[in-house]
Amino acid sequence: MTTQLLQEVNSSLKQLNQIILGKEQQVKLALTCILASGHLLVEDLPGMGKTTLAHALAKVLGLDYKRVQFTSDLLPADLIGAAVFDAKNSSFTFHPGPVFSSIFLADELNRATPKAQSALLEAMEEGQVSVDGKTYPLPSPFFVIATQNPQSQSGTFPLPESQLDRFMFRLSLGYPDPKVEREILKGGRGRVAIDQIEQVLSRDSLLQIQSLVPQVKISETLLDYVQRLIAQTRQDDLCQLGLSPRGALALMKSSQCWALIHGRTHVLPEDVQAVFVAVVGHRIVGKKETQGNQLARHVLQSVDSVGSRVIAA
Amino acid sequence: MFNKGFPQDKQVTYAGMLWLLAAQLVVMAPLAFYLPVWILPVLLFSAAWRIRVMKGHLEQPGIIIKLFVAVLGIAALSISGLKLISLDMMASLLMLGFAYKTLEVIQRRDAMVVLLTGFLLIGVSFLYSQSILSALYGVFALIVLAGTMIAIQQSKSHSILATLRSASLMVLLCLPLMLVFFIFSPRFSPLWTIPLEASQGKTGISDSMTPGDIAKLSKSDELAFTVTFEGELPKQNELYWRGLVLQYFDGKTWTPFSNKLEFSDIKRQLKISRSELKKRLVKKGYGKKYEVIYEKTAQPWLFALSPVVDIRGNAFFTTDFRIIAERNILEPMMMTVVSYPETLRDVILPDSTRQLALQLPPEGNNKSRKLAKELLKQSSSKQEYINTILNRYTQQDFYYTLRPPVLGERDTIDKFLFKSKKGFCAHYAGSFVFMMRAAGIPARIVTGYQGGTLNEKGKFLSIRQYDAHAWTEIWLENQGWIRIDPTASVAPDRVEKNLEAAVEKEGSFLEGKVFSMAKYKWLNSLKNKLDSTQYAWRRFVLSYDNETQKSLLKRLFGEITVHKIATVVGAFFVVIILFWSIFLGLGRKSAKEAQEHQIYRRFCALLAKHGVSREPSQTPQAFSQYASQQLPQLAGDINAFSQLYSELCYNPEKQSNSRENNSQNIKALKVLLKTIKKKL
Repeated sequence: MTTQLLQEVNSSLKQLNQIILGKEQQVKLALTCILASGHLLVEDLPGMGKTTLAHALAKVLGLDYKRVQFTSDLLPADLIGAAVFDAKNSSFTFHPGPVFSSIFLADELNRATPKAQSALLEAMEEGQVSVDGKTYPLPSPFFVIATQNPQSQSGTFPLPESQLDRFMFRLSLGYPDPKVEREILKGGRGRVAIDQIEQVLSRDSLLQIQSLVPQVKISETLLDYVQRLIAQTRQDDLCQLGLSPRGALALMKSSQCWALIHGRTHVLPEDVQAVFVAVVGHRIVGKKETQGNQLARHVLQSVDSVGSRVIAA
Repeated sequence: MFNKGFPQDKQVTYAGMLWLLAAQLVVMAPLAFYLPVWILPVLLFSAAWRIRVMKGHLEQPGIIIKLFVAVLGIAALSISGLKLISLDMMASLLMLGFAYKTLEVIQRRDAMVVLLTGFLLIGVSFLYSQSILSALYGVFALIVLAGTMIAIQQSKSHSILATLRSASLMVLLCLPLMLVFFIFSPRFSPLWTIPLEASQGKTGISDSMTPGDIAKLSKSDELAFTVTFEGELPKQNELYWRGLVLQYFDGKTWTPFSNKLEFSDIKRQLKISRSELKKRLVKKGYGKKYEVIYEKTAQPWLFALSPVVDIRGNAFFTTDFRIIAERNILEPMMMTVVSYPETLRDVILPDSTRQLALQLPPEGNNKSRKLAKELLKQSSSKQEYINTILNRYTQQDFYYTLRPPVLGERDTIDKFLFKSKKGFCAHYAGSFVFMMRAAGIPARIVTGYQGGTLNEKGKFLSIRQYDAHAWTEIWLENQGWIRIDPTASVAPDRVEKNLEAAVEKEGSFLEGKVFSMAKYKWLNSLKNKLDSTQYAWRRFVLSYDNETQKSLLKRLFGEITVHKIATVVGAFFVVIILFWSIFLGLGRKSAKEAQEHQIYRRFCALLAKHGVSREPSQTPQAFSQYASQQLPQLAGDINAFSQLYSELCYNPEKQSNSRENNSQNIKALKVLLKTIKKKL
């Protein structure tokens, strides 16, 4: 990756960190997800800055974005648009919904009914929308950044596994540490309002980075490690549902992207470990009380990060 | 976080604790039949306590509480009525400790102590029962113990079935070794006898006969002994298994001697050598050779067709033509015996024996005495007198019954002969001998077993407790002792067939034993099969003693020398070890990691020795940083090594295709490792 691109990435990170204070790792992961062409799910309690992060990301990337607040009476047509009868031409014309944008912000995704949620499915996976038997392509790039409340909160419809699997990362921001919290309470020295954010990463740069991601090299030894990790999610005593091949692909791709924005030409185990919890946490199901991110961390800890490339005797 | 070893890894997990408890229950259950049963609740109590502690509801008991509980247990043992120095006491003490130890099991080695005691207790349980069922149960207990051994070593719990499966495999793999030990290990006769008597009641025929005793036996279908004949089977009514001779009558009870004698005295009085025995016999007729396996009775009496002229086994001959074991029979014992049933015994009767055989109490039973005198007067010969007496049993209304009326303390013979006229073998034999002695004919009572059930499948006879019988022997000029069974005159079925046929009408066969299989005809074939399995078990396993071992080894390997046996056993060991290594894949080459990883692992092992160990998930770089912090003097080398390793592993450009380049890299890695090693 050229130094110029790297600089662009770094300065956009810097911008984001000025808005979301003290969450460097999560911010970096969020950006990695977008750069690896993945959809992002931010899950946390209300008021933790989910929407702010999503907003800021859209701003930094300088892409056109639309935001929909999901509610329980939201209908699919509210998202993807509808064909409206045009009296002039006496024909139906399609009025595209908010989903026709480069970044679609689905705020509080799990407050909508499953019907509305699944309307997003096709859009996210295929990059297209079908209405009345006609298919309309979505703009490229197309990202969904969704936020949701933890499922224990009232008035939520849990997302089914199939839909969760379509998000590359699931992040949660968590409470800020005391020092940062003090900063926020003070009114934020160095904290910038969202509308002050400038576009740093151009659309071209974004597309360029996206095309560079698959070129990051993966050694055999690293593949061994990734395979061990995947196998562990399927064999571990605490795991009920392991990682799907789509999940494994997402893990590989995001590791490459993470290596790329750190200026490496090949993937290291550290890269895999950095994205592992974000990729795997929402995709695996545990047998016992150990679930989600905690389970993913457990898997990560129980797999040897070195070794293999076995020579058969 | 990266300390060497984890203390919690050495502790027994909750699942491990449950396994341990299950194993303890399994091991202790069979012993509870023989030992104080309250030890089982003690186990449950201490296990519950321990589990409460594990769950954090209770504190681990302190030394004072433990001491108190221990004293309580020992006090309970001391008042439980066990002899102080006896097997029962020792076993109970072991069980108690075994149960209490649960309270202290925290670490794996504590659990190991419990488990090893468990293995010992399996052995102890064989001192009490050696049936095929207990052997199978023993194997089951072994498997559970092995499973527990696996379970307590695990930090995570696995499914019960999987653990049991691998435990069974372990036990199965040990089977060949067990067989070799069974066949070859030397069998020493015990240096001391275990005091077993306390709980091991004597069973079988007792050494005295009061009317009523044999009726008790007739209610039991327990096995007394099994016999396999070489050649043809004698007829059913010739199967008189002679065991005890009762000479002395005190008016109510028949006993061997006038007073109760210790076994050593009995032996001194009765034992005779083979040559002396030969002198008292006039050999006649055919010989019968047979193999007998006597069940455990805790008594020394052996039962055989009379007279026995040859025995192979631990027994001696007696003046009254019996055989007696040298020791009480505490485990199934096998003997090969040769009898000549038609041989004349004591044609010349020694005076002392004659005196004994004519003894009667000075008074009592006057009616019978009078009758004897009258009948003797009427008879022209002794033979006629005998026939008259026997005919009385058939002609008058005597009944054979297992429910005779009570005869009281005095004049029992009179009451039986003139009043009740109902009885079984003991009544008939007793009254007959009385009548003989009253007429001056030497006579004595013989007790033992009569008949036996042939197992068609195994071709062996099973003689059970309900075959117990009493008959008589009288001495006649020129004929010696001859057997007369007065019961045969009253109830021919008892002798021709068996007890069941004799009391068929009365329905008193095995009265009160609802669950006895012998009662149910339709179960016969199943019962036969079970019997022959048990017979094989006794024949080939339990009675495999020093003698049988010698003859088997001789048959297999010719003359026995230490060298030869050592070589054979050694060869077996080698074969077993080979088998194990093939089976367990020890010989198989395990898949190897690429060389750079091997070197890296050596690097990790080296640092671990110096207290810096790597977590599995730590990446080479992360570990390098951590190690450099811990060993600052080596920071440079560690860094260089890790850097090179990392490059080799993850940078595809560095992984050149040329073999030469690759081996150079490996070499460089090795050199770096060596420098670190030197500096450490």
